[in-house]
Amino acid sequence: MSGGLLRRALGLRQAKIGLTLTGIVVLLAVAGALFGNMITGYQPDDFSGKPFHANGMAGTDGVGRDVLTRFLDGGLDLLGYGLAATAIGVLLGAALGMLAGYTGGWLDGLIMRGSDVLLSIPQLVFALLAIAMIGPKGWLLILVIGITHAPRVARVARQTTVGVIGQDYIKAAQLYGMPRRRILLREVLPNITGPLMVELGLRLTYSIGYVASLSFLGLGIQPPAADWGLMINENRIALVVQPWGVVLPVLAIAVLTVGTNLITDSLAAAAARRTTEES
Amino acid sequence: MNPSSKYHRIGRRGFLGLAAGLAAVPVLSGCGRAADAEASAPAGPPKRGGMLRVGVTGGGSSDTLDPHIPATNPDIARTINLYEALLYRDNQFRLRPLVAESVVSSPDATVWTATIRKGIKFHDGRPVMPRDVVASFRRITDPDDPKTGAASLSMLESVVPTGDRTVEFRLSQATAGFDDYLGQYSLGIVPADFDVKKPIGTGPFRMGTFDAGLQSTFLRNEHYWVPDQPYLDKLVLTNFTEDDARINALLSSQVDVIDQVPVALIDVLRSDERIRILNSRTGTWQPFTMRVDRPPFDDVRVRQALRLVIDREQMINQVLSGQGRVANDLYAPYDPAYDSTLPQRRRDLRKVRGLLAAAGKPNLEVELTTAPIQAGAVEAAQVFQRQAKDAGITIRLHKVDTTTFFGENYKNWDFAQSFWYTRNYLPQVNNGALPSSPINETHFGDPEFTAIIAKAQGTVDTAERTKLLHQAQRIEYERGGDIIWAFPNQVDAYQVYVAGLVPDRTGIPLSGYQFRNAWLGQGGGA
Repeated sequence: MSGGLLRRALGLRQAKIGLTLTGIVVLLAVAGALFGNMITGYQPDDFSGKPFHANGMAGTDGVGRDVLTRFLDGGLDLLGYGLAATAIGVLLGAALGMLAGYTGGWLDGLIMRGSDVLLSIPQLVFALLAIAMIGPKGWLLILVIGITHAPRVARVARQTTVGVIGQDYIKAAQLYGMPRRRILLREVLPNITGPLMVELGLRLTYSIGYVASLSFLGLGIQPPAADWGLMINENRIALVVQPWGVVLPVLAIAVLTVGTNLITDSLAAAAARRTTEES
Repeated sequence: MNPSSKYHRIGRRGFLGLAAGLAAVPVLSGCGRAADAEASAPAGPPKRGGMLRVGVTGGGSSDTLDPHIPATNPDIARTINLYEALLYRDNQFRLRPLVAESVVSSPDATVWTATIRKGIKFHDGRPVMPRDVVASFRRITDPDDPKTGAASLSMLESVVPTGDRTVEFRLSQATAGFDDYLGQYSLGIVPADFDVKKPIGTGPFRMGTFDAGLQSTFLRNEHYWVPDQPYLDKLVLTNFTEDDARINALLSSQVDVIDQVPVALIDVLRSDERIRILNSRTGTWQPFTMRVDRPPFDDVRVRQALRLVIDREQMINQVLSGQGRVANDLYAPYDPAYDSTLPQRRRDLRKVRGLLAAAGKPNLEVELTTAPIQAGAVEAAQVFQRQAKDAGITIRLHKVDTTTFFGENYKNWDFAQSFWYTRNYLPQVNNGALPSSPINETHFGDPEFTAIIAKAQGTVDTAERTKLLHQAQRIEYERGGDIIWAFPNQVDAYQVYVAGLVPDRTGIPLSGYQFRNAWLGQGGGA
């Protein structure tokens, strides 16, 4: 089942590359947040020189803080927010999608048409709207990105659930009078993990992108916190003088999203191979 | 550390190379400009002719040609070049005559007589008459539609023509520095039959074309009253909202001058031999504003603690890249009555802790509302937040966008920031430190202070008035709600072939936008 899928996916070369890339950035973000100031000797909000000067390995930012320290400190929030938003989106979406697919009828119609409405609003615009109304709060960022993921996940979950419920083992479970919740969790869910894992990876990639974009626009993580998206915005004016303030976070975000995407691709490939083998 | 130097070297070299490459492009391609590479700093007497292209920060679809309600930088630049007030502040921040030849006060400072400059004409050739002055002030103080300057003219009762070239300003109360109020660029004199669709004034340039939010062009005013001025045939103002775009336009010679260089880029531009930096010391100020009528700032000890926790030198270094002068929680440094005898406030963490303990707030926690209202505002908030931490004060930053900042809570934030141009003491107090002031962000309403100011307004004797103003400044120094940490420099940039731009104390960019003094040397003029 899912263990087999993971093993098969990890056997692929691109999965190994993806895992390495993602691992590097995650390690950097976690270790950097924990030990960053020991490496550079500065706290993220300490001043190490004049603004945009060459002090330290990667120079200083717009108010003279050490860029490397802030870079090392700035990834954890982004990762955490991205993971949390993905978790909310996938859990909510999978639950709704399975419920709709399994139950059918008016509930199916209600859930799926409702998610169509949400789908019609571009994700970033929806997030901008919510933040403009309530303000840039961390929990709101996670919630709003998670919610906009849900209908996309629900669509996939419903489709795969519909493909599964005709199977004999589901019918058998129904004959035994197993409650709906148990059928969904014990019989349906394990059989749709492949597509859901692909969704998970895809949504994670998008989440990281969205959190970084919103921070870049000044609506995500707020100053004086160190954050990769925010750093790009704060330092872009000095790209020609002190490029590292932009280049380091850009590289990290790019490597991270490419890495998660490669893993997702291998999961998708592995899942596709399994279905062809089974049929 | 070996890896660090390697890391560093590649980056610097690579990117400087890239920067140099970018900078070289316009020279190589020529851009139809005769001798960009050979341009040198002009010398000798001013030369006539040519077109000056100016990149100005800000502006938008609400851009206006109305002489009396300029809001954004492009508005101000247009106003100053199209229209002229009776008086103005020159580059040294001295009050100088413009449309008026002289403005003199009656002994009791209740009647002021302005004499219109002999032979001065509007753009259409008509002479400026007393009735034009009367009509201009009627337009400004129109009770149904008061313009920008109306708030500071509340003591003006009537404007009466008294001769061929004289006008009397009759005041409801004695106002010693009334001429100072007349020297505002938003009090331009326009014809009695003025219509914004036909913007006519006495300024050095007349209107060419106007595209709100984009660009405006101006032509030389042949009737201008200063002989030979303006030197330019044509003036083009282009709006720029993005810093990068404005800098790139200058580097690629698409404009000749730009205002507001981000401080971080001064050194980059300075290293380019085609560019000159115009660095002006000013009396502008960017205070943190504490509301004196709201906790915790209603306790004077808390206000003093915050004024003592700020490290002014470090603020100037980190926020302004060193481009500014330390301030002492007082404004109007160019006012002759500025009290420089008050001791300079310096950081003193022990005193801060003592004051906060005495106020019963040893672990003070406050929220500071910040927005990009001016270059460096959000940066200043971040540096101050860090400094306050050293004394155990927690400042939470509440960052909003500019629209929200100036929205319904404007002037009511408990702890926020502001920005003011250079003014003398009394006009500044009238604008922002009295219960009746239009923009009193700190809600300062000290009765003793208000009484002293009222007395000073009606005091004609300079020595006596200075004594009163020193008393008033001491009160603000001890009990005021502004944390005034620096007078930032105004930094602009221009191509080496542009001449006539000099440092200006008013804080208005590019020599106070007075392009009548500008001219083009070898290599300039498209």
